[in-house]
Amino acid sequence: MVDSFLAHGTEAGGSAPSATIRVQGLHKQYGAVKALCGIDFSVSPGEIFGLIGPDGAGKTTTFQILAGVMEASSGEVSVLGQPPREARLNLGYLTQAFSLYADLSILENLRYQAGLRKVPQADFRDRATELLARMGLSQFPNRLARQLSGGMKQKLALCCALIAQPRLLLLDEPTTGVDPVSRREFWDLLAGVAADGVTVVAATPYLDEAERCNRIALIYDGKIQQIGTLAELQADLALHRIEVRADALGETEAVLQGAVSRASSALVDLQSFGDRLDILTPNVAQAKSEILQLVDQQKLAIPRLEANEPTLENVFVSHLRQQGADPIYRAFPFYRKPKALSTEAAAVAISADRLQKCFGEFQAVKDVTLAVRYGEIYGLLGANGAGKTTTIKMLCGLLPATQGGMSLAGETQNLHRAEVRSRLGYMSQKFTLYDDLTIRQNLEFYCGVYSIPQKLHREKIDWVLETCGLVGRENQMTGSLPGGWKQRVAFGASVMHEPDILFLDEPTSGVDPLARRQFWRLIRDFARQGTAVLVTTHYLEEAENCNRLAFMVAGEIVAEGSPTQIKAAQPGQLIELVTAHTQRASDLLRQQVEPWRVSIFGDRLHLVLDCPEQELGPLIQSLQGAQIEIRAQRPLPFTLEDAFIGTVQRAEEVSP
Amino acid sequence: MNFIRRLFESRFWALTLKEIRQILKNRQLIFLLIFPPTVQLLIFGLALSPNVDHLSLGIVDYARSSESREFVSALVENDVFDVAAYPKNQAELGQAVRNGQLIAGLVIPPSFDRDLNQGDSTDVQVLIDGVDANTAGIARGYIQQTINQYTRQLNPQFKTALIETQTRFLYNPGLSSSWFFVPGVIGLVLTLTGSLVSSVTVIREKDIGTLEQLLMTPAAGWEILLAKVVPLFILLMGDVLLASAMGRFVFQLPFRGNFFLFLALSGLYVFVSIGIGILLATLARTQQQVVLTSFFFNVPIIQLSGAIAPIESMPKFFQILSWLDPLRHYVAIARSLILKGVAVEALLPNILTLLMFAVVLLSISVRRFRSQLN
Repeated sequence: MVDSFLAHGTEAGGSAPSATIRVQGLHKQYGAVKALCGIDFSVSPGEIFGLIGPDGAGKTTTFQILAGVMEASSGEVSVLGQPPREARLNLGYLTQAFSLYADLSILENLRYQAGLRKVPQADFRDRATELLARMGLSQFPNRLARQLSGGMKQKLALCCALIAQPRLLLLDEPTTGVDPVSRREFWDLLAGVAADGVTVVAATPYLDEAERCNRIALIYDGKIQQIGTLAELQADLALHRIEVRADALGETEAVLQGAVSRASSALVDLQSFGDRLDILTPNVAQAKSEILQLVDQQKLAIPRLEANEPTLENVFVSHLRQQGADPIYRAFPFYRKPKALSTEAAAVAISADRLQKCFGEFQAVKDVTLAVRYGEIYGLLGANGAGKTTTIKMLCGLLPATQGGMSLAGETQNLHRAEVRSRLGYMSQKFTLYDDLTIRQNLEFYCGVYSIPQKLHREKIDWVLETCGLVGRENQMTGSLPGGWKQRVAFGASVMHEPDILFLDEPTSGVDPLARRQFWRLIRDFARQGTAVLVTTHYLEEAENCNRLAFMVAGEIVAEGSPTQIKAAQPGQLIELVTAHTQRASDLLRQQVEPWRVSIFGDRLHLVLDCPEQELGPLIQSLQGAQIEIRAQRPLPFTLEDAFIGTVQRAEEVSP
Repeated sequence: MNFIRRLFESRFWALTLKEIRQILKNRQLIFLLIFPPTVQLLIFGLALSPNVDHLSLGIVDYARSSESREFVSALVENDVFDVAAYPKNQAELGQAVRNGQLIAGLVIPPSFDRDLNQGDSTDVQVLIDGVDANTAGIARGYIQQTINQYTRQLNPQFKTALIETQTRFLYNPGLSSSWFFVPGVIGLVLTLTGSLVSSVTVIREKDIGTLEQLLMTPAAGWEILLAKVVPLFILLMGDVLLASAMGRFVFQLPFRGNFFLFLALSGLYVFVSIGIGILLATLARTQQQVVLTSFFFNVPIIQLSGAIAPIESMPKFFQILSWLDPLRHYVAIARSLILKGVAVEALLPNILTLLMFAVVLLSISVRRFRSQLN
């Protein structure tokens, strides 16, 4: 398999040996709407090329043109040296929606795809066996596609795309709604595929994933705004990031926010997270002294400062802000008196005591104990099937618990009484809006059903429309909105009645990074007004916004604490290696340590070691023994995702 | 005024308005409400007729006399039989009946006119295809009747029986079978449409996942369901009017009873059929499942109700079972009001049974509605 893919890689192109994809002056118009206005880029064989951008930026249109599904209005596109339509047999295209037949088994789905692409029967058997083994799907070839988890479905879809040995893979947001562990595995597989010479073009709303691409293009408003490797983009931004941790975080934020808005300040941008603030600045030393000075003036406790590289999200957000793409922020029109949090600090909004849920023999939730206070944002994280959604459904009274006690808004009995429910807000993972009603009708419905006084309807609905950037489009059918926008409206609909307790189950799935930032700003506003927020997410960078977090594995909470505490509790160290042969180095390292400890990020390797002092030396020697040159190595701080994957994998090792 | 303002600010109104808006955008639902009832009424009313006429008759006339020809013409006079063939002999006739080419065969013996002229009785042989027992019975009875009349005509002193029944048909003097069927089919149409439409609107929330969200709002189960029932009820009453209009103008039904009483009781039955649909929807998981289970329930409900086949012709066990069939009661009410014009007192047992059905079905649905996510 490896050899055959390599063979493909070297022969790719022919007349145009350097580029798999060459796009020049690409335009696309739908009626009066300009989706793409002049895009140029090229992708080399074996490269992983990432496309990032907000919803409606033109990513999907680009994919459809590259895949030969749609014609460009003007411009030149060559794929594998041919027009896209003719190159179709040599490319695999994976879309957001699972392109699988739910009622066929894994093997039947594969065979169907192979049949469509005329894979010879003899080749099919070998390739199917090898692909399924590589994706970890070979134990149950006869399981129906609909019985698979989201992560496994995507791996199967990838198998289907790879069965005809394409030379180019087009992936349009392939991992939306897939949990972090499966996502990381998926990208490890992609790195392997790319190392075999297959070119990969991927779009993703998750910027931590985009960091794993060789090159990244930021697309907005139908144009490519920036293109380059992660390091190039970071250097281009010419800003540094300072993490600020303080005890009186709210007051510190208020002080620093004032400075950011002053032109003379060295502080350019401030972003608030659950237990820290991120400051962007062109000059670290100057910014640090400015922060300390400001804090001192207000007699606040001295914060802990830590300088770091900017993240890809910083690049993305800063650039789009310059373009004026930032969604409008308007404070929510609160009518409820804010809860006096200092006196009610001890008041618990949601509590669970040894909560259990069994479905037949299967124990979905085991002994979950947690407490969420008013004004707190509490995150529940876990892989698909870890029991998050079941827990949330029990806590909000949709599912009866098999065992254990719980309380909701001070009540322990009859949690589904109307009085209790009118104090709750709930946004489920699935669609919470009626597709066959207009946006305004949906919002009017939720106003009415939560008994918001008639005279406030207008103001609240206007707030949702403005926040979502949908003013003037309120009479559009909700079903015609893109997923990300729908999520924003659904969020608006679930908070209009100013709930005391807010349940958010994957609220930002499919929402672009800018809108996600706005989302969290609004969620923080509610928390400040005293609302208790319980949120689940697959997006770990976003989980930094929570005040406290719990990781769930197989129905149990295995770690709990603030984001900083959780990262600090991780044993060992994350090490970044730059080597001459990334894929070979990764393969070699994976033979010596558990595979989850090694992952490929573009041209770099991330390695998690429990005792780096003793382990790193021998590993480097073995790499050098295999003629792999090590160009650079440095320790990195753990991200929350590293912490999550480490925690989950260690928990699974203990109880397989 | 105050009450109206309170209504418009209530949760119930928000829920109802949402349902109405969804229904107005749902062309499929409007189609389901108009097209199938019309077609079902026309098909059942016009095509389903137990009247037996134009049966094919084969005749082997060994007598070949004017008397035998007269006898044959007496038989075919009423269009019940058409002479379709004159086979050469008895064996050939028997073969044709066996093949199904002929429904009935008549063999007139060579001694036919001689026996009659001598004042003796004579034997004619009749072969009837008994596969369709109903038609065979009617054909037999008709032939018997014609023979009796013919005999009386020849010999006025001849007495067949001492007591002769003089039958007068009440309520349906023309014995028009559509009068019997149409009230039953109105009930059938309300059952099918009501249960299908209501189950589909309820299951749709579960299918697309909005049900969870709805259950998290302060709205009570009964509010959610009632908001679904009210607009459907109004639409299904439109179906009742449509069916009544067709009954009156297409099938010339007499509507002898109080029409408003008929509407009110039809409304009661509409609640029962909506109740069946909602109950099925809370039991099923998907739209497909609910449509299939409603078939499973609707067919026996219709068969046992007497809407199409008379209850009296069923075995005793099923006659008793049919008391548990709400449609049976509605069909009885509809026939009584449309054809007989009886007073409400006579219908009280049926009305009370329907009322009980409506209350039980809807209250089970409300109870199940909240727990159905488990």
